[in-house]
Amino acid sequence: MHFFSQSHNYEHPWSHVVIGMWRKYPNPKCSHVISVDVVDRSVDPETGIIRTERILGCKQKAPAWIVKIFGGSEDAFVREISFVDPSTQDATITSVNLSLSQFASCYEQIRYHPSSSHRTSFSQTAEIQARMALWRSAADGLEKWLVQRFEQNAQLGKLAFTDVLRTLREERQRTIS
Amino acid sequence: MADSLTPQCTPLKHEYDTCFNAWFEGYLEPAVAASSSPEKRSEYSKQKADEFQQKCGNVWRSYRECVQNALKEKGLDALLQQAREEHPLAEPPVVTNEPSNKS
Repeated sequence: MHFFSQSHNYEHPWSHVVIGMWRKYPNPKCSHVISVDVVDRSVDPETGIIRTERILGCKQKAPAWIVKIFGGSEDAFVREISFVDPSTQDATITSVNLSLSQFASCYEQIRYHPSSSHRTSFSQTAEIQARMALWRSAADGLEKWLVQRFEQNAQLGKLAFTDVLRTLREERQRTIS
Repeated sequence: MADSLTPQCTPLKHEYDTCFNAWFEGYLEPAVAASSSPEKRSEYSKQKADEFQQKCGNVWRSYRECVQNALKEKGLDALLQQAREEHPLAEPPVVTNEPSNKS
């Protein structure tokens, strides 16, 4: 089992960050994400909370031994469920791998919340664990590779989203003026 | 905008995303303001939920049907069903507000 966590502040108001959430991909810094589909979405008429379920398709080159043993392909799919609650100004995003799910689980949670009127805190945690009674060394190797991939993608994701938010702000300012 | 998992669904996806983004950008800030009272919040939420249905309901149905077929073709529908049973995630996670380190 590996744990990962990071936190960061974006120099943008919370509502801008949440609007930007839907515009993150495609992104040259996250070229591994190649498709995004909404499979379910609901707006709660009482609470105003928006729940969205998405499937993201990623292309990630796995080491040959992983592909051989676990029969994976280059295409990896992730299921993402997000909740946007305007009354608490919380946006939470939970992602779990669909592909290789019988072998390993990568469970990630992200939260965006205002830290001031013009700043938004971002916190992210992940639990990555190989499942099944596999050969210990194969399970450890798979887990290590997933962790490395995850850490790298998390760094890229942060940089990529910073760009998106800045560009979006410039775009919106031009429309206003 | 990102592509759909199959090319035939991409135009519908783009149309749906455009519709949702336009609605959402108008929705969010007033929603935060309306949260000042529970009555205002439910009145605003109901009105905006209906509006979303009216504006984007048709394209959503077409897009969703396309994606559901694509998931079946790729053999992902069973996997998705299993994932939903294992982690329904029907409610937002409980958020604990850590004490801030304000000096």
